[in-house]
Amino acid sequence: MAIETKTKYKNMAILFSSIIAAVALVALVVGVVVADAAAVVEVYRMIQYDLRGVPLGSRRAAMNHHASSNLAVPGSDLSRTVIILPIAEANITMLNEYLQSKRLLGGLLLLFPHDYGSPTDSDSEGDGDDNYAVVRKHIAEVEQWLIHNNLPYPVYFAYEDENLINILKEVVVNDAAGRPATAMTGGYKLVIPVADAKKLPPPTITNIQGWLPGLRAEGDNSVLPTIAIVASYDTFGAAPALSVGSDNSGSGVTALLELARLFSRLYANPKTRGPYNLLFGLTAGGPYNYNGTHKWLRNFDQRIRESMEYALCLNTIGSSSNQLWLHVSKPPDNVFIKQIHSEFVDVAEGLDLSVELRHKKINISNPRVAWEHEQFSRQRITAATLSQLETAPELFQHTGGISDSRRMVNETTVVQNIKLVAESLARHIYKQQGKQIEVFAEGSSLAVNPAYVRAWLDLLSRTPRVAPFLGKNAPIVSAFYKELAEHTMDVSYHHDTLDSTFVFYDLTKAQLSVHQVASVTFDLFVMLAVGVYLGLLFLILLVTTKGFDDLIGALRRPPSRKVKST
Amino acid sequence: MTLFHFINCAALTFGPHAVYYKATPLSEYDTAGTCIKAAIVYLGTTLIKLVCLATFLEVSENDSFNLSQELLKALIGFLDVAGLYFALTQLTYRNISQNHKFQAVGLGWAFADALLHRLAPLWVGARGLEFTWEYLLQGVESNANLVLTISLAALGSLLWLRKSKPSTVVPIIYASAAIVATMPSITSYLRRGLAWDFSKVVMFELSASLLMAFVTWRLFSACQRPSL
Repeated sequence: MAIETKTKYKNMAILFSSIIAAVALVALVVGVVVADAAAVVEVYRMIQYDLRGVPLGSRRAAMNHHASSNLAVPGSDLSRTVIILPIAEANITMLNEYLQSKRLLGGLLLLFPHDYGSPTDSDSEGDGDDNYAVVRKHIAEVEQWLIHNNLPYPVYFAYEDENLINILKEVVVNDAAGRPATAMTGGYKLVIPVADAKKLPPPTITNIQGWLPGLRAEGDNSVLPTIAIVASYDTFGAAPALSVGSDNSGSGVTALLELARLFSRLYANPKTRGPYNLLFGLTAGGPYNYNGTHKWLRNFDQRIRESMEYALCLNTIGSSSNQLWLHVSKPPDNVFIKQIHSEFVDVAEGLDLSVELRHKKINISNPRVAWEHEQFSRQRITAATLSQLETAPELFQHTGGISDSRRMVNETTVVQNIKLVAESLARHIYKQQGKQIEVFAEGSSLAVNPAYVRAWLDLLSRTPRVAPFLGKNAPIVSAFYKELAEHTMDVSYHHDTLDSTFVFYDLTKAQLSVHQVASVTFDLFVMLAVGVYLGLLFLILLVTTKGFDDLIGALRRPPSRKVKST
Repeated sequence: MTLFHFINCAALTFGPHAVYYKATPLSEYDTAGTCIKAAIVYLGTTLIKLVCLATFLEVSENDSFNLSQELLKALIGFLDVAGLYFALTQLTYRNISQNHKFQAVGLGWAFADALLHRLAPLWVGARGLEFTWEYLLQGVESNANLVLTISLAALGSLLWLRKSKPSTVVPIIYASAAIVATMPSITSYLRRGLAWDFSKVVMFELSASLLMAFVTWRLFSACQRPSL
C-alpha cells in the first residue's frame, strides 16, 4: 500500500512537473510575442468607397514602413515612409500638393488628442472649449479633404497615448537632426499586417417607424391627419469606426425619442389624445442623399401619404446656439409653411430662441438631396427641417464624421430645442395657436427629461453608425426599435438596400504594431564585432593553451597543423 | 534584416563553445565523446532538477523575490554540482588526461545549457522585427556561463580527482566552488530581489565569471606545481 502511494506521488510529481514545463514554455512564448513590439495600438482605418464608380478614400490597408513626422524631411524616401501627424497640426495644403503631384507616400497615421470625443467635464469649460472648437473646425476641414480625394496609400487614425507621443517625439527629433528612419539607419517601423479591403455587398438600410394614433371625434368618419416627426440616425465620416455623430445625427434622434416619450404620455389618456396621428420615423441612409427616407416614402400607403399634413425633420440641433433655421422647399409665402413657422416663432420667443425660415428650391434633375424634408417634398408632402445649420450641406458634409463629437453637443440646448418642438407641435395638435400655454412645463410630469436626453446622447456618441458597417441586426438599431416600441404602437422595421451609386469596402479597425528596428549598418557592425571577438578568443585560447600544454608537457602538435587550424 | 540579427546573436551565443573546442587541444584529442556524455548528464540533471523544483517549489503568482523559496531553489541548484561530480568521476572516458577531461565536461555542460535555455527564445525573439539588446546580452551571458561552468568543472576536478593537493588551498577551493555553484542564485537575487537591469546583471556575471576564472586558474597552478 505504501509503495503504491509512493509511486502514485511520483507519478503525480512527474505529471505536475511536465505541466509546469508546458506552462513555462507557453508563458515564455506568449511573453516573447507580447513584448515583441514597442507599442501595439488600436487604429481606425479611413473609409474606402466608390461613388458612381469613382474610387475615393484610402485605397490601401496594409502598412509596413518606417515612421516620419512630416513630408519635408530631406533624404527620406517618402514612398516607404508613414507620416505620423497629430490631426490638429495636419496641413491640408501641403498634403494636397503632395497628392496632386502624384508622388508616392507609404501611409498616413493621424493622431487625435487623447481626450478627443470624451464628454466635457464641467470644470474645463470656457477657454478650453474655444480652443476645442478651433480644433474641431480644422478636423472637419481635414475630414472633408480626406473623404473627397482618392488616396493611394493607407490612412489610419489613432488616439494619442503616452507611448505614441514619446515615439512621435523621438521621430521628430531624428527628423530634425537629418536622420530620417530608413532601412540604413533604423528607427521606428509601423506595421499593420492586413490584407487589402474587400468590396462589401450592397448595404441594407433599416428604417424604423412607430405610430401614436389620434382620437377621432365621435361621429366623425373622416381620416385623421398625420404629422410625421423624422430624424435620420446614421452617419458617415472619414473613419467609419469613429463616426459617432453626436450632433448629426445624435441630437435629432435623441429629440425624436424624447418627443415620442412625451407625446405617448399625452396620448395615453383619452382626454388629452389629440385629433392627429403622430408618425415617428427613424431613417437610415441620411448621408447618402437621404436614400433611406426616399425608399421609406416610396413604400408608403397611398392613404397615409394623403393623410399626411406635414413632416418635421430634425437635424443637427445640439450645438450651443440660440439660432435655428426652418428649412423648407415650398415658397415661404405658402400658407401652411407660414403657419408652421409662426407656431415655432411663438414658442421660441418664450424660450429665448430664434427660428428663421430658409427657402431652397428643389432641382429634381439634381441627384443631390441636401435636406431630409426634400425627400418628402418630392413626394408632394409638406415638410420642413429644423436645424442649426444655416446653409444646405454638401455631400458628406455635416454627416456626423470624426469632427462631430460629444463635446460639442450641449444637453441644455438639446433640451430647449426639444421643448420648442414639443410645445409648437402641441399648439398645432390642440389648436391653441397664438395662446401662451405651456404643456411641457418644467417640474411637471410632462417636462423634458434631461437625464433621458443625456443618456441617449451618450449612447449615440459611443456608437458609430455608418450604415454599411451596421448590418441588419445592429444592437443600436434594435435599441431604437425597443425604445420606440416602449412609447408608440405598430412599431415596424423597413429594410431596403442602399442606392448602388455607393460601394463600400470593409476593414474599419486594425492593430498597429510599432517596432523599433535596428539598421542594416548596425547589424553589420554587430557582425563585425562578434567576428572580431570570436577570432580574438580563438587566438588567445590557442596561445594560452599552447603554454598550458607546455606546462604539462603535452605539446605534441606539429606546427603545420596549428597553422591549418587557424 | 532580422535573420541577420538572429545569426549574429546565435554566433555570439554558441560561437565561443565551438571556438573553445577548436582552439584548445580538446579537438586534437578527439574529446567530442566526453563533451556529448557530459551534455547527456546535463540533460539528466536538468530533468531531475525540474522534477524537484516542481515538487518542492510553490508556484508564485508574482515575480517577487521570496527568500525561503530562493534558498530552496539554490539548494536544488546544487544538484548541478552533483551532476558534474557524476560526469567527472563516475563516467569512464577513453584515454583522456585529467586536464582535458574537466575542460571537455565543462564545455559539453555549458553547450547543452546554452542550447536548452537560449536557442528557443532566440529563435522566437531575435527574428522579430523589434530590436532589443536582450538577445545580444543573452549571448554575452552565455559566454559568462561558459567560463563559469569550466571554472566549476576545474574546481571539481581539483577536489575529486587530484589526490595531492597543498592542504592550504583546499578551503579556498571549497569556497570558490561554493561561490561559483551559487552564482545562478546570486544573479537571480540581483535581477529580482534588487530589480537590476538585465544589462547590469550580465555585466556583473561577466566580471564575476572572469574573476572566478582567474582564481580558479591560480588555484589550478598552485595544485599543479607539486606534481611537477
